Amino acid sequence: MPELSMILAGLGDAFSLQTLAFVLFGVITGQFVGAVPGIGPVMAMAIAIPFTFGFDALAGIGFLVGVNKGGLVGGAIPAVLLNTPGTPDAAATALDGYPLARQGKPLKATKMALFASVTGDTFSDIVLITVSAPLAVLALRMGPVEVLGLMMLAFAVIAGLMGSSLSKGFIAAALGLLCAMVGTDPEHATPRLFFGQYELYDGLPLPAVAIGMLAIAELLNRLARSGGVRAAVTMPERQSAADKRVSWAEYWACRYTIARGALIGTVLGALPGIGSTAAAFMSYASARQASRDPGSFGKGSLHGIAAAESANSSVMGANMIPLLTLGIPGNVSAALIISAFMIHGVQPGPFLFEQQGRLIYGLFGAMIVANAMNLLVGQIGLRLWVRVVSAPESFIFSTALLMCFVGVYLASGGIFGIGVMLAFAVLAFVMNAFGFSVVVFIIAFFLGPRLEISLSQTLALLDGHPLRLLDYPFGLALMALAGATGIYLARRRQFDAPE
Amino acid sequence: MSLKRTIAAIAAGAAMFAAGAAQADWAPGGPLSLQIGFAAGGSTDTIGRIVAKVLRDQTGWNVVAENKPGGGGIAMFTGIANRPADGSVVGLGVSMPILVNLVTRPDKLDFDLDSFDYLATAARAQLALVARADAPFDDVAGLIEYAKTHDGAALAFDAKPQELAMRKVAQMAGIKFQYLSTKGGSANAKLILGGQAIAGFEAGEHLPFLESGELKMIASMNESRHNYAPDTPTLPEQGFAIYVDPVFFFATTAGTPEDAREALVAALAAALDSDEVREVVGNTLKSPIVNMGPEGTRKMLDDGLANVGQLFAQ
Repeated sequence: MPELSMILAGLGDAFSLQTLAFVLFGVITGQFVGAVPGIGPVMAMAIAIPFTFGFDALAGIGFLVGVNKGGLVGGAIPAVLLNTPGTPDAAATALDGYPLARQGKPLKATKMALFASVTGDTFSDIVLITVSAPLAVLALRMGPVEVLGLMMLAFAVIAGLMGSSLSKGFIAAALGLLCAMVGTDPEHATPRLFFGQYELYDGLPLPAVAIGMLAIAELLNRLARSGGVRAAVTMPERQSAADKRVSWAEYWACRYTIARGALIGTVLGALPGIGSTAAAFMSYASARQASRDPGSFGKGSLHGIAAAESANSSVMGANMIPLLTLGIPGNVSAALIISAFMIHGVQPGPFLFEQQGRLIYGLFGAMIVANAMNLLVGQIGLRLWVRVVSAPESFIFSTALLMCFVGVYLASGGIFGIGVMLAFAVLAFVMNAFGFSVVVFIIAFFLGPRLEISLSQTLALLDGHPLRLLDYPFGLALMALAGATGIYLARRRQFDAPE
Repeated sequence: MSLKRTIAAIAAGAAMFAAGAAQADWAPGGPLSLQIGFAAGGSTDTIGRIVAKVLRDQTGWNVVAENKPGGGGIAMFTGIANRPADGSVVGLGVSMPILVNLVTRPDKLDFDLDSFDYLATAARAQLALVARADAPFDDVAGLIEYAKTHDGAALAFDAKPQELAMRKVAQMAGIKFQYLSTKGGSANAKLILGGQAIAGFEAGEHLPFLESGELKMIASMNESRHNYAPDTPTLPEQGFAIYVDPVFFFATTAGTPEDAREALVAALAAALDSDEVREVVGNTLKSPIVNMGPEGTRKMLDDGLANVGQLFAQ
């Protein structure tokens, strides 16, 4: 147990004027870059890292944490207002956020996203601060077989999102998995499906595919349909106050949805490498399953927004669990935070709390402060963004298009990434036109490599003896749960079909 | 602004310009692109970005760090090989993946070792074979004994040469291992600490775990022992003439004019020698800056090509 005086000293550091200023600056930067479709918080963090070397460790890391957390809130803004999510996890927010914004309630939709996001984030931070050590031990026990079971469960739950036609859903998922296979195969390191393009050696770049299919396709679609000068988002002239805000009663009604999302996000976040996209969609799908009114989902349900945002934001705090206790980053932003630690000579791992206790408690303090600032900056920022997007849509969409190009250029290493982005925008346009789910494609594409690597590791462990699976009871239980979920959802689909 | 101050400012600017010009006659005609052959958020990225920053500070050139991921640097070096040789681009890559590709599919690459002018090396990644502290062995011979009695031993690796090296060991010893392929050293650490793998490869991530006594080092996979573990012998010292020696190096397009090349070599050497780069690279890689210079870099790659050729000749 660390000494109280050290905890207090750490928290005191977090509340120093310098740290507060850096965290605030980070949150503002994060919300801004998150809200601009195309440029995400990851790129902003990568650019900022060499400069954090000049700051003291807590200020530098607090700044990056601020960018990361701000980005989670900011990412929901274009998804809700324009239906152009910049990252796959925000695509889940768009499912209900955008319909609600179209109903003339953009502020209500973005505020629900903000509140759910900050709630989920705070929950996972508290889990991180209080029980990270036992959770890290648990995460270590999750070996390849258990992760494979979890991936199967994720696919089964997400199958519930496949829409009206099962066969079209499977085709979209298969296509996503096929695209995920491009690149070097994880087992033998032989290049696959790369057609002589060395840029494809590491697979199709995720930012290019995600932004192309989610943002560019929608922008093209809207630009093609737009005639005359119209606002990108229309707000009714006279709007009742209730439509501009989220009341306590509305928030409270979503409490179970938010709690479930926060729990899913925290559990998945504590396991390195699964990520916020799976969390957002699993939470969304299970909220819809649990809802007494599943028909309202996809039509602007506050529950839908709350489910997606609470889950994808709670991944962030939980991601720090394997990072701080084991030095294992769960995703790219966690990897960037590790590099920031390391350039300051701080090595995450077993001695971190012992050797750097004051810094770590300072970081915890900064995380909580960042959540509060997220709420504050968000309250002001959302009004601003809603005003920005009430500009004529020809202006907004062309600006957004340009930002997508810039963002993908930066994130995926040049013109090649832009080509990939445009190719996938066309694919998404065609898929949308014929009723194939782009979201299912993206999830399959995103989870594909993780599924494959856990499968390959599992096969190596079994070494040709299937019965060795019996040595992994928890993994087997997860697989059985995945099977049961699949069967349940298929039956329910048949039951629902006549409607 | 008053006239006097304007003149003073212009004079100061001119003096600075003259000082810069005296230092090096050559400067890039536009921005100098420092390309990093890997995605953001890894050790190569960190090294590239800090070197770019210090280069910018020291030379005043407009140095832009860019990530060009793909094939462990293959995509980036393919691009650099085909650029005009005007000193406007410098690539930062790691030797092993380049050498592996040059050995396994030379006919499919758009470049060979002659396609570049070499500028510097930054450091060597000290690659270690580690095991959980409670594993019933302390060296490679013990690991082989363990594999004999346990129907193999699961090893976590994150790059092909590591697997090939252990396949060679297994072949020589007449045993088998199970190979768990992962996406990096920290994923290897997770499998080893979690008990799913008995041993695996680490390039720095393992140091705190060595200190805490949760992991132990079985062998240095490099040609030489590691600076932090002078008592742990290398794989060749343990009877297997195999090593894996990843080195971070800088190169530009072959045929770059001599003045440009010399200016780049000097600028990189100065940046690598700065306290800022020393500290960041030391903290990130846990190994010291090693700048072999232009000729040394080329020799390291030539020797490495022969070694990797041997690794793949099974």
